[in-house]
Order: sequence, then C-alpha cells, then structure tokens
Amino acid sequence: MLEGAEFYFNVDHGYLEGLVRGCKASLLTQQDYINLVQCETLEDVKIHLQTTDYGNFLANETNPLTVSKIDTEMRKKLCREFEYFRNHSLEPLSTFFTYMTCSYMIDNVILLMNGALQKKSVKEILVKCHPLGRFTEMEAVNIAETPSDLFNAVLVETPLAPFFQDCMSENTLDELNIELLRNKLYKSYLEAFYKFCKNHGDVTAEIMCPILEFEADRRAFIITLNSFGTELSKDDREALYPTCGKLYPEGLRLLAQAEDFDQMRRVAEHYGVYKPLFEAVGDGSGGKTLEDVFYEREVQMNVLAFNRQFHYGVFYAYTKLKEQEMRNIVWIAECISQRHRTKINSYIPIL
Amino acid sequence: MASDDWVTCEESVSPSQYRGPMAARGLRAQVDSLLLQLLRDLEELEAKRAALNARVEEGWFSLSKARYAMGAKSVGPLQYASRMEPQVCVYTSEAQDGLQKVWVVRASAQTPEEVGPREAALRRRKGLSRTPEPESSPAPRDPLNWFGILVPHSLRHAQASFREGLQLAADMASLQIRIDWGRGQLRGLQGKLKQLEPESA
Repeated sequence: MLEGAEFYFNVDHGYLEGLVRGCKASLLTQQDYINLVQCETLEDVKIHLQTTDYGNFLANETNPLTVSKIDTEMRKKLCREFEYFRNHSLEPLSTFFTYMTCSYMIDNVILLMNGALQKKSVKEILVKCHPLGRFTEMEAVNIAETPSDLFNAVLVETPLAPFFQDCMSENTLDELNIELLRNKLYKSYLEAFYKFCKNHGDVTAEIMCPILEFEADRRAFIITLNSFGTELSKDDREALYPTCGKLYPEGLRLLAQAEDFDQMRRVAEHYGVYKPLFEAVGDGSGGKTLEDVFYEREVQMNVLAFNRQFHYGVFYAYTKLKEQEMRNIVWIAECISQRHRTKINSYIPIL
Repeated sequence: MASDDWVTCEESVSPSQYRGPMAARGLRAQVDSLLLQLLRDLEELEAKRAALNARVEEGWFSLSKARYAMGAKSVGPLQYASRMEPQVCVYTSEAQDGLQKVWVVRASAQTPEEVGPREAALRRRKGLSRTPEPESSPAPRDPLNWFGILVPHSLRHAQASFREGLQLAADMASLQIRIDWGRGQLRGLQGKLKQLEPESA
C-alpha cells in the first residue's frame, strides 16, 4: 500500500473525519461529570444531560425513568451517528465499519441463543439487541441447535461467516458451549480485523494495530481471570486466547497454566506495558479491579488516536470513547438510584 | 413494646392457684427474666436486620459492577427464565417448646434430621410448586451460569451476598416468632401479677 495518506485520504474520507472530530468535541467534560455526580434522582440526571450534546433524547420516555431506559436511548443515539458515518463512507472505510459492527453482531447472536435456552420469545430479545449489530437473519438464530446448524442455516450470508472456521461442531448448544462459541468467534473476528488493518498499512495500521493488540491481550487476561474456579479446562481456555497480541506466543502459553491471580500477575510482569497496569490493581474490595484498569488504558489509547490525522482509527476510537461515556453515565445513574454513593466517582473521565 | 399494652389485656386465670407473696415474687422473677430475654432477642433481631440490609445492598451494588464490566444488557431479566426451579427451600417445624422454627435448606441436600417432636413440615417455595424428591432429581443448575460460564468476580460476590442474606432472613423469621411468643407470655404473666396484687398498684 502506498504510504502518504495525507495526499489522498481527504478525497474519500475527509468529510467524515471532520464530522467525527466534531462529534468527539461534544463528549462529556469533567465539569459535566461533576454536575451529574451531584444529582439526587434520575430526573436530575435527565435535566443535566439536556444541557449537553445529548439534548432531549429522553423526552419521549414515560415515567418512571430507569437506568435501563437511559442506556437504551444513549445506544440509539450512538447508532444514529454511526449509521450516518457508515452510509456516507466509501471503500475501504466501509469494510472497516463492517468489521466494527461484527463484535456487536456476535453479542446479539449469543444473546438470542441464550434467550432460546431460557425459552424466551424472540421479540422480547430483539428489542434488547444492540442496534449496531443488527442483521436481517437475526430472527432465525434461535432455531439452530448446534453451531454447524447455526452456520449453515442462518449465518452463512452474514459478515460473521468467515469467523466460523474453528467453531464448527455438532455439540448441542448448552451454556458452556455457547460461551466457548462466543469466545472463539470473537477470537477469529479480532484476528481478521487485525490482519485487515495491518494489510491496509499507513497511519491506520500504526494506530489500530496497537489498539487491537491490547484488546487481544486484555481478552486473554480477563478470560483467564474469570475461568478460575469454573469447569473450563486449561486447554479449552488456551484455545480461546486471540493470537494477535503482544502476549503471543510465550505469554499465552504461560497464561494458560496460571491458576490464580498472582501467577497471572507474574506473567504480566514480563511485559513492560502490562506490569504497571497490574500494579495499579487494588486488592480486595477497596481499589480498582483489573477490568477498571484495562478500561482506563483503553481510554488513553483511544484519546491518543486523535493526535494523528488521515486514518480510520478515529472512527473506532470515537465509538469506543462514546461507549465508555455511556458506561460512566450508567454507573453514575445506578449509584444514584441505589443511593450507594461511596463509589460514584469510579467513572473514567475522558476529556 | 409489650409494656404499653399489658393494661388492656384480659386473661382469665383461676386465682385459686396463685396465692400469697411467694407466688407474686416468683411471678415477678419470671416477668423479669422474660423481659430480659425479649430485649436480647430484639437486639439480635435489629443486628440481623441491619446485616440483611447491608448484604442486599451489597448484592445489588455488585450486580451494577458486573453490568459495568459485562455490558448493561448482559445482566438483566433477559438472562433468566420466567419460571425457575428453586435452589433453596424454606422449612418450618415445631420444636419442643411449641415454638415454630424456620430454616433454609439447599434443594439438593437431604431433609435435615431433627431432634424432638415434629409436626408435618410445611414447605414454602419460590416459583413453581413441585413435590420435592431429594433423591431422584438432578442437582439444580447454578444460577450464576445463566450469565455465562466466564463471569466476572463481582457477579460471584453478588451471589455470595444474596446467599448470606437468605440465611439471615430465615434466622430473622425464627427470632420474630420467638419475640411474638415472648410478648404474649409477658402479657399473660403481667396480667396474673395484676390479679394477684390489685391493691399494691
């Protein structure tokens, strides 16, 4: 790929980059968060959000206001912005956007399958699916009994089809197998996305590849942490680690053998990027959890993506920063509605 | 408290059995010890109530933390069926002193053996009512697995908090029964005392 994106990037993508930078400027500031934290009820939160870029997004909501409704409406707003970008994009940015939506599609497929296990109606679940991950064959997902079934009957025409390589099996989909399916699909997806960015080269690869490497390693750590004390075997666990990160191959092999948090920490200490993250983890219920520390690092990397121009990473970074903002608002709203304000300041400020 | 309504009670007691200052002194001693027991029980009940509130609050907060880590729609009503089998059942029985005792038992465990006379055990369930067969039914699935196999630790903390809360709730129910019985006894004894010494008021 020819280097020198600054010569031709703006021809196809200049308008959208300008737009996304404008959207980024309207993310909530520290002052907005301070105002939200001082709210007493969810109605106050709604009033404060009206002064921000969110505007009257909750105007049509009936009483009583719940945290779930706030979350749904925020997601719809993000989806509208994203769809606008996507509809105005040209190749290869369109493929980049398709890759971004695949992760939400995987989540929706798993949600539908879990719902089928719990005998819920498809309509009930479709309402709660992530709008960014919508695809036409969604309603048919619940009829599949095995992963091969799912692939052949439902997903073969969707963008998820290439990620089914390692997942084909005739095992019936119970809870363990659904979890394995979710993680294997995500692993294939992440590796494919990484390859796409790397092949694109130029500034996009320079920005996106470290972000995706961090995502892969983060997943490996979190899968390991959550698998302690479950029925997942070490070999199964190792099969779920994405291989496009810094930990591949020695780190992943060591991580597969870890049996508790301290062993995991020792693996992380071999890597200069991850050692300080693990040191920031508090112990017990007092300090930050590993997930919090990873979210902070993700926010850092995404904010830095805006320091370079002429690359696709700004779109990815904006979407992820917006999601973090939504997580922050939902967290503050939950603390307010449960009247449990001790940890209300645990949100991650962005700007 | 029992002391403000003992004036209104009516207890018919044959005064022939209770005569003399010895009987009054004995009754007063009984009233005192009963009152002390009642106050101890009330203190324990308050402590358990505070602990239960703390556990439930903790549990809900841990659920919020799990939602932060997993995504807001991954921990919610979509993940559980509208009809579910109970993991834990509540049993009551009458103990030797005629008081009912309440406790919780995991559905997969055998019915615990008891000391003392036993009336027909009542069973109250959450959800579907079903004749329990502890030997033949398979072990019920852990509700934690409704949310996936690889769940964050905050969800496990939530489950532990709610489990502790269950045990506390059963203890509180037993204590409440004992306190009500104690109040009734106290009223009775104070009525008898009043009958014995109507002049010395």
